[in-house]
Amino acid sequence: MNKTLRNPYVYLLFVLPTLGLYGLFFVYPVLQSVFYGLTNWDGLTPAKYTGLDNFVKAFNDEDFWISVKNNMYFILFSLFVQVPLIILFSLLISGVKRLQGFYKTTVFLPSILSTSIIGILWGFMYHPSIGLFNNFLGWFGLEPIYWLSDTKWAMLSILVTNAWQWMGFYIVLVLAAILAIPKEINEAAEIDGATGFQRAYRITTPLIMPVISVVVMLSIAGAMRVVDIVLVMTNGGPAGATEVMASYMVNKALRYGQYGYGTALSIMIFVIALLLTAIYQIVFARRQERIEY
Amino acid sequence: MPKVIKKILPHLVLLVYVFVILFPFVFVVFSSLKESNDQIVNAPFGFPVQMAFDNYADAWSQAKISKYFFNSAYLAVGSAVSSILIAAATAYALARMRIVKVSKAIYQFILLGMLIPGNVLFIAQYILIQKLGLLDTHWALYLPYTAGALPFSVLLIVAFMKAIPSEMEEAAIVDGLGVIRSFILIILPLTMPALVTVFIINLLGNWNEYLLANFFISKDALKTLPTGMVGFRDAFQTSYPLVFTGVVISVAPIIVIYAFLQRTIIEGLTAGSVKG
Repeated sequence: MNKTLRNPYVYLLFVLPTLGLYGLFFVYPVLQSVFYGLTNWDGLTPAKYTGLDNFVKAFNDEDFWISVKNNMYFILFSLFVQVPLIILFSLLISGVKRLQGFYKTTVFLPSILSTSIIGILWGFMYHPSIGLFNNFLGWFGLEPIYWLSDTKWAMLSILVTNAWQWMGFYIVLVLAAILAIPKEINEAAEIDGATGFQRAYRITTPLIMPVISVVVMLSIAGAMRVVDIVLVMTNGGPAGATEVMASYMVNKALRYGQYGYGTALSIMIFVIALLLTAIYQIVFARRQERIEY
Repeated sequence: MPKVIKKILPHLVLLVYVFVILFPFVFVVFSSLKESNDQIVNAPFGFPVQMAFDNYADAWSQAKISKYFFNSAYLAVGSAVSSILIAAATAYALARMRIVKVSKAIYQFILLGMLIPGNVLFIAQYILIQKLGLLDTHWALYLPYTAGALPFSVLLIVAFMKAIPSEMEEAAIVDGLGVIRSFILIILPLTMPALVTVFIINLLGNWNEYLLANFFISKDALKTLPTGMVGFRDAFQTSYPLVFTGVVISVAPIIVIYAFLQRTIIEGLTAGSVKG
């Protein structure tokens, strides 16, 4: 029997397709990124080795850092706006008996739709003349706002759309954790006279900290990756106000032909992602230990 | 009296949220049935009076939505099926075959791929696809979609396969079943729940993918729904009802599928994100 499960030919047959594709689409591009990152390749003339020039350039590239800042807005918005709302809504949904399934299904809906369709949809919500928001302002006699073409509002508009798309997904995650808490704990607290608010704040919320920390991690990962919604809704505009790291990198490489610089930026993005992961580990992983007793 | 309020208040708050979620859809459906821009501009949220169903026929033919739809469907399903088959075979080798040291090394090697955040490899992959001469073919999407799903899929299926007790497989092998047949006849059926999860995650991911589809494909006839619809929006900026109709047509099938399979989809997507 051991011989059957040690058949090296079958083993190779099973492993090679994965290793081949993995090598071609992960390992090779990683090596290429490092290689091109150190050159000034423009896609046409042969690449010339330029050492760390690209990275020096990136550090001094104000536009790149603006795009980094915009990614940080995504993270801050999820931490301080989305996460509290996610907790609130999942607590509310877990508390109701009627329509619980309906709420869950409905709030989850936007997260299965394509970001580009949602971008189109919300582009109309923000439309200067037919959009919802300006009609709303109109009822109060306020001036219309050019949500997506005003540097003051464009970023916020995208953040709201992004929250609309993803909150339901996280709500369902947190809701599952809340519903998995043994009923006895809450019942005991209720007998001891704890109000609904006290139970939510003192019992449920601490108990779901692990899943909240997963939500935070996923939000950070999502914020680092964000690009579709920006490309569809504003294409980085107006005047770079909504440019994110990925869209900036893609534009540099594909639109301006600066492949060397573009790949150097991609390495910078990777490093920034690693840094954020480290910060996350320090801030959240520790806190979780404290709660586990 | 306070008790009633206590019961109703959560529902009120939640219904507001549900309204916020559903409102854009209602707005789009209403607008898609209006005859002209004027009707939308005059009463953006009004019920459509004349029900211009012609829009649907127009959008379907002018936007080539059927074409985009077909492209999206076969690419999404094709890649998802391919990555599942490849990942399941590899996971079987890593989790159940007895070449342990090599398996551990390969597992760690694939795990590294999970550390790289999406998009970071985009430019290098673009260069690669260009070198392979695959730009503007569906291979340019099929291959990266299939490959991109592998690390995650392998890890998730390995975890699942490791938990399957070995007695059944051992008995079958003692009875003379070969390793490939043991994989197909015994382990694969037992792994179904994990395969369904991975399939849903990959399928939706491919179906909604925008970045690669936008830059690797420029021929209109090869475009997928996400990029095709954006192109359609940009081309028909002056005809709102048509664009709205396009949005409805491209969203409707997903919503119908979701209505039937909501539990499987929700469980699949959330389980994948927590474990993965």
